[in-house]
Amino acid sequence: MDSSNPVHARRPRLGVFKLASCDGCQLTLLDCEDELLAVAQAVDIVHFPEASSSLMPEGPFDVVLVEGSLSTSEQLEQLHRIRKNARALVTIGACATAGGIQALRNFADHAEFARAVYARPDMLPILAKSTPVAEHVSVDFELRGCPIDKRQLIELIAAMLVGRAPVIPNESVCMECKRRGAVCVVVTKNQACLGPVTHAGCGAICPAFARGCYGCFGPRERPNTRALAQHMRAQGLTGREIARSFRLFTAYAPEFREESERHES
Amino acid sequence: MSRERTYKVDLLTRVEGEGRFHLVVDGEDVKEAHLSIFEAPRFFEAFMRGRSFQEAPDIVARICGICPVAYQMSAVRALENALAWVPTPEIRTLRRLLYCGEWIESHALHVFLLHAPDFLGYASAMDMARDHKALVERGLRMKKAGNSLIEVLGGRAIHPVSVRVGGFSRAPSPAELGALRPALEQGLGDALTTVKWASGLRAPELESDYVFVTLCAQDYPLEWGDQIAISGRGQFPVEAFDELFEEQQVARSNALHCRLRDGTPYLCGPMARLNHAHERLHPTALAALATSGLTLPLRNPYRSIVVRAIELVHAFAEALAIIDGYSCPQPACFDLEAASASGSGASEAPRGLLWHRYELDAGGLVETARIVPPTSQNQARIEADLVAIAPELLRLDHDAATRRCEQLIRAYDPCISCATHFLELTIDRAGADRSSAI
Amino acid sequence: MAERLNSEHLDDLIALMRGDGYRVIGPTIRDEAIVYDELRSAADLPWGFTDQQGPGRYRLQRRPDRAAFGYVVGPHSWKRFLFPPREQLVRIRRGSDSPQWTAATDDGPGLALLGVRACELAAIAIQDRVFMGGPFVDGRYRVRRERCLIIAVNCTEAGELCFCDSMDTGPEVQGDYDLRMTELGTELVLDAGSARGRELLERLPSRPAEDSVADRAQAAIERCRRSMGRRLDTRDLPARLMGNLDHPRYQDVADRCLACGNCTSVCPTCFCFTISDTSGVTDGEAGRERSWDSCFGAEHSTIHGAQFRPDVRSRYQQWLTHKLATWTAQFGTSGCVGCGRCIAWCPVGIDLTVEASTIAAGAGDPVPLPPVQSYAPRAGDGLVPVPARVLEVHRETHDVVNLVLQAPAGYAPEHGQFNMLSLPAIGDVPMSISGSGDGVLEHTLRSVGNATRALAGLREGAVVGLRGPFGKPWPLEQAVGRHLVLIAGGIGLAPLRSAVRETVQRPKDFPNVRILYGTRSPDDIIYDRELLGWIQASHLRAHVTVDRGDRSWSGNIGVVTKLMRRKHTPRSGLYFLCGPEIMMRYALAELDRLGIPAEHIYLSLERNMKCAVGICGRCQYGPHFVCKDGPVFRYDQIASIFGKVGF
Repeated sequence: MDSSNPVHARRPRLGVFKLASCDGCQLTLLDCEDELLAVAQAVDIVHFPEASSSLMPEGPFDVVLVEGSLSTSEQLEQLHRIRKNARALVTIGACATAGGIQALRNFADHAEFARAVYARPDMLPILAKSTPVAEHVSVDFELRGCPIDKRQLIELIAAMLVGRAPVIPNESVCMECKRRGAVCVVVTKNQACLGPVTHAGCGAICPAFARGCYGCFGPRERPNTRALAQHMRAQGLTGREIARSFRLFTAYAPEFREESERHES
Repeated sequence: MSRERTYKVDLLTRVEGEGRFHLVVDGEDVKEAHLSIFEAPRFFEAFMRGRSFQEAPDIVARICGICPVAYQMSAVRALENALAWVPTPEIRTLRRLLYCGEWIESHALHVFLLHAPDFLGYASAMDMARDHKALVERGLRMKKAGNSLIEVLGGRAIHPVSVRVGGFSRAPSPAELGALRPALEQGLGDALTTVKWASGLRAPELESDYVFVTLCAQDYPLEWGDQIAISGRGQFPVEAFDELFEEQQVARSNALHCRLRDGTPYLCGPMARLNHAHERLHPTALAALATSGLTLPLRNPYRSIVVRAIELVHAFAEALAIIDGYSCPQPACFDLEAASASGSGASEAPRGLLWHRYELDAGGLVETARIVPPTSQNQARIEADLVAIAPELLRLDHDAATRRCEQLIRAYDPCISCATHFLELTIDRAGADRSSAI
Repeated sequence: MAERLNSEHLDDLIALMRGDGYRVIGPTIRDEAIVYDELRSAADLPWGFTDQQGPGRYRLQRRPDRAAFGYVVGPHSWKRFLFPPREQLVRIRRGSDSPQWTAATDDGPGLALLGVRACELAAIAIQDRVFMGGPFVDGRYRVRRERCLIIAVNCTEAGELCFCDSMDTGPEVQGDYDLRMTELGTELVLDAGSARGRELLERLPSRPAEDSVADRAQAAIERCRRSMGRRLDTRDLPARLMGNLDHPRYQDVADRCLACGNCTSVCPTCFCFTISDTSGVTDGEAGRERSWDSCFGAEHSTIHGAQFRPDVRSRYQQWLTHKLATWTAQFGTSGCVGCGRCIAWCPVGIDLTVEASTIAAGAGDPVPLPPVQSYAPRAGDGLVPVPARVLEVHRETHDVVNLVLQAPAGYAPEHGQFNMLSLPAIGDVPMSISGSGDGVLEHTLRSVGNATRALAGLREGAVVGLRGPFGKPWPLEQAVGRHLVLIAGGIGLAPLRSAVRETVQRPKDFPNVRILYGTRSPDDIIYDRELLGWIQASHLRAHVTVDRGDRSWSGNIGVVTKLMRRKHTPRSGLYFLCGPEIMMRYALAELDRLGIPAEHIYLSLERNMKCAVGICGRCQYGPHFVCKDGPVFRYDQIASIFGKVGF
């Protein structure tokens, strides 16, 4: 799309919705300080409660960005309405794509969990599990991360505007780590690192900050989690420690879930 | 005909998280005033159990995308207190610098993108930019400077990765920090301009008799402090939080309400900090305060936009001073030994006091975690203020009155996802037995 | 003549090079490793440090002395400076009806690489062949190489993972260096390998080295040669590896391998990259950039959703056999220089020397590789499209259009070649040429992805970017006087179309042409009117079959092999095949059954082409690059790998 000729094509209508989450992924859009005003010109932001009090939850939308996991029955209804009103639905972040950190409760006794936090858990309309959006409606694209990466969000929007597939490769964090010139913390420091099995996109921040990747972008395609876990064990980690390392912000993603369950004791 | 009027907004906008409010006024009597939070709870304190203390800074960051650093800072303070370790001055200073970044980012977001549209009459900052481009760009510039600071120290602006119990996984080089100077210097100038601009905004009249609560230390309250100051009541150790305050679950809300033990609602956040500690502001911020026309003690919540601007000046000035005197901490991180221990810690999130407490087992795994965020502390106070403006609302048409309520709520910069958490309750245990119903 | 120089004068050397405008890159300590980064003075060198390495293990350690080069090799190689991990290739101006593509240039300062080891210099020489050996030369790489100053250093100590001696790349520096040093205690013994090197040496406070000193340096190198931590038997290694593609050890590796791609990233010779278009939210500027890629990633071998190397086993096999076997057929050298980085920086410590030895020792008979090919150099930057205007758009079927483009001046493709077609900020796709002549060229395309959908939506007057023609054509002249059988499936008729047209024009040369064509349904038949025209010629017969007929269809129903009757398929004929790979597999089996010799069969393949000029590595097909050795292959040359998982 050409900015000098905005009449030519209708501006795509964008909606931003939130389910159970920390708001960090939608905040990422507001954190695009250099691009925010340009984005607001290029697309018609018709519903974005965190940033605007002008609401239009029923759309219709060309694209919606959905943050957060499904945690309550109201959210489930809301999600179906969103899907109905949107041509393309993009999930943003680990909560929406994998259930988020709150999906840790999926591994525990839910009632006991609610009791630990709330004295009157019966007041809470909570679903037994925190689940990703794709478990309930069809999803057109997933932006991974806890939180999502600003450059990837801009790439998604820029790609949508010209009609190309966004360049968001499903490769290991190691690829970005090496391109960045960071030094491998597994090899030099024997640290536990999920980089080899984790979807790239963050730019390999953790290794560049001298610590192992903790998997917040979730599993990459064909992750050999079993081989990595074996290696962790050989390096002296206990089964529980291995289970915990696969069980963080994308714990409920199938590949990480299964690997953590293998090491539960 | 009844003189009863209802003001309500089903989805509060330009706040972080999901909440609604409901105010029923009959004449000048307020029948109901509820700020209710329907943001889904996420049970952080429950799933913190069994996690290693080293994982805590990563996990608690996820409570809030706007103030993750605050969560990390309160958590490391609590855990380091538990493990009886005192950070070196260099590590403390670096943490303060990181926290300055978050104050800048969060305050700039709030002042320009969330609150300013109320004062200038727009639905959003994007709309506002059509008529006030330079203003919005100034806000974005400052916000970016704050985010850049967090990125250099922590790898990314949201959920930074370098904060560890015991220090930082990596400390930046003086050259990396030096590269931030130009943006921070410009930010300082922008912040001073912002104080002037914000001082000129017409704020509705409202004076309440607040109890202010802040952290208390030698410096302006930010990342450090072992005492909590309660206005009119004195100073108390952070460890005594439970003796001072209590949290309650209320039916209409997924968040817990916090009050003083005697039931008094209280206020934390920028206005509380300014009233308690203005003399400890950076001299540049103190000078800005002098020109702002604010008179202390400040009791008008709508004026908190000016206070945030002054705190922006403070954060920029302090960040520049820290960078000028920076030397890389050696080592950047200390290995702390796990121990069966417990401890509390608090810091001043952009929107107010954030208190954490952890109990650890001998292997360093969390046995219990408690987190009291500023918005649950302010919630009762917000409702009290909604009651207080009822007479004024009668003079406005319905839409304007509703907007006025929203503006008031936004003045607190409520962070609703923070507020929906968590907690083992000290009172009202009756419901627990019926929990099998779900 | 060798010279001696006190090591402290390394500071003078660095200052001299910086003074000459070079950006000096050399070893320095960062993140507990010796990395390559910009040096401001000799103080940045890793004085007194060494590295201890093992499979999946690297530790920085102090040495008893103050050697500057007392380590082996670290996590970085020089490739990150000569072939950067991310780089803009093309600048694109979009937003008007005449988009422009121009080469992005590297205007940075010349690089002085200080401390280049023998194995590393050999690796640079290998990448020189990849990026400058033809047919196209990578302009940005060449500029950096020509400006680059190389200060090499001989190894006097071998590491646990070193095997340069086995690969014949070290430990003594050979080849194209400017200065070469051997560190002896607190001294350096130097000699110049170029005029630039001599000129530098003259400005240093060195003095002639006595023979005894030079001998000591040589002895230290020889001691190093004898202390290699690893060995690899390279005798006949390529053929032995290619003969053991089914070795069970591959599965054993696959169980351990994380497919993270670290081995390819740290390898100083691995050159695979991907290309993508970039654009911002509103601005009219866009770009095309490349970034390091790895054969361990899924996208490396994916087209239209199909993955040629779907599992870790086949990805590891691709890497190992490329590095140690097929590389020799592609570039006339092994792809391995024996630096050991892939062993050290593999998180789980998979050892190439162990795996390759085990697999090469398998029971399979050696399979020799084709000899290395040379390519006539071609002018111009093969990576930069030129604008071409769309003259006509014809709809062939519901999802196939035929674009008639104005051909650039002097454009003369051969039958079966392909072009890369681009739209600004969307990217480019390989597209076979379906017709050419009289200043026009034609492309018949089916919209399957974003790029083809955008191309298929073009109107007359629009401008596309064009690169090409690329690849080997159909050997049509070999068919003169013979039976020619063209077997096509679906859109696979397009790459054959211009060849058909030529046979129509030269009936005397091509007395017997037969087209066997299968599609999904009658509606999917392309060039239907043209087909009718062709069969007017008495020497040409066409047979069409469809998978599913409809009420109006009275022709053949079934797959294309049903048309391959004995009378249509003389043994002496020449066969050109093009279509989906599964269709070609069945057709080849049928031809084999009919006794057609493999060397009479040619087929056109499709792989994941990105650069189309033989340097990005994405379209590797065993020893071949589909973009420059194909897309048309003689069947016997690829029969051993055709249809095999992993190729």
